[in-house]
Amino acid sequence: MKSDIFFHNIILPQKDILYRLALSIVKDKREAEDIVQDVFLKLWSKKEEWEDIENVEAYCFRMVKNLSLDKMTSLRMKTTESISQEDSDYKFMDSHTPLSEFESKEESEIITRCIDELPENQKLAFQLREIEGMNYKEISSTLNISEELVKVSLFRARNKLKNLLSGEK
Amino acid sequence: MTSNKIDILLAKYWECETSVQEERELQEYFLSESIAERHQQYKPLFSYLESVQEMGLDCDFESKIMEKIAEIGEREKEKKYLEIRIFEPLLKIAASIAAIAAIGISVFLIEKQNKQVFAETYNDPSVAIKQATSALEKLGEALKQSEQASMRGIRELQEFDLDWSMIDSLAVSADSIPETTDNVDIRERL
Repeated sequence: MKSDIFFHNIILPQKDILYRLALSIVKDKREAEDIVQDVFLKLWSKKEEWEDIENVEAYCFRMVKNLSLDKMTSLRMKTTESISQEDSDYKFMDSHTPLSEFESKEESEIITRCIDELPENQKLAFQLREIEGMNYKEISSTLNISEELVKVSLFRARNKLKNLLSGEK
Repeated sequence: MTSNKIDILLAKYWECETSVQEERELQEYFLSESIAERHQQYKPLFSYLESVQEMGLDCDFESKIMEKIAEIGEREKEKKYLEIRIFEPLLKIAASIAAIAAIGISVFLIEKQNKQVFAETYNDPSVAIKQATSALEKLGEALKQSEQASMRGIRELQEFDLDWSMIDSLAVSADSIPETTDNVDIRERL
């Protein structure tokens, strides 16, 4: 079936990007996985409309973003809560990425908090560039903002981190 | 990679002038063991990026999704089957109503067509009226003539001034009474 192939080749490969996006908003592994799953099932139920979607990647991205933000408001989760918990919920805390890679756990917490505090556009532009390695054009179409604004957002995000790390204010 | 080149790349990085490839090179440098002292302060950022990039869903996520999709498909099939079962009696009623309506309409149409065959002998209504008027006129004339003829007959009979009682008695005893010339004349006239 055509829709099966499309789902397997185009939509399913997005799972990790979407998962990382959801995780960056809800800060909970299980919640993030549920969100991605919900979005995929919702997409599947609308398979007749796929042909009308111009940019499937951006469409999935927006669906995950909106659902994550909705979940956040309904759960009223504290964005820093699960990060500061001392469980090994995150993979970067797992054994295959040793903790020793960080100068200290505190530093990663500071960076996470700094990114969380960024305005939405800056945070998403940073996520798509630094984590997903997208070029400005791809980010612009995914976030539905101009390339200029992508660059400005990324510039501000990077500079905030630079100031944080170099001890400037 | 020399630390000077890293200085240039870093400067470009903060200004958002680096390409995706150059940013990858920077990240590789910061994950290596040989980081210059002056670059150490930025190491946590690149380590953080690396750790987040590695995050992903478990391998069984895809199979879980496909299972759920298959479940949804099954449920939809069941729902359709149920719907057909629930609405089956209604479907029968609807089908019979449709059949009756179809028969009724076809009978009505055939009837209408036949009527039209009888009605439409004349295309021009004025010609039809003319024909009908002349036919009725002829009939009227015939009736008038027959009426005049009968009136004439009655008038002639009255002119004879007949004695009807005598004629009746004549009829009763026609054989016994001898015939007179007058009587014969009357009989002939009648």
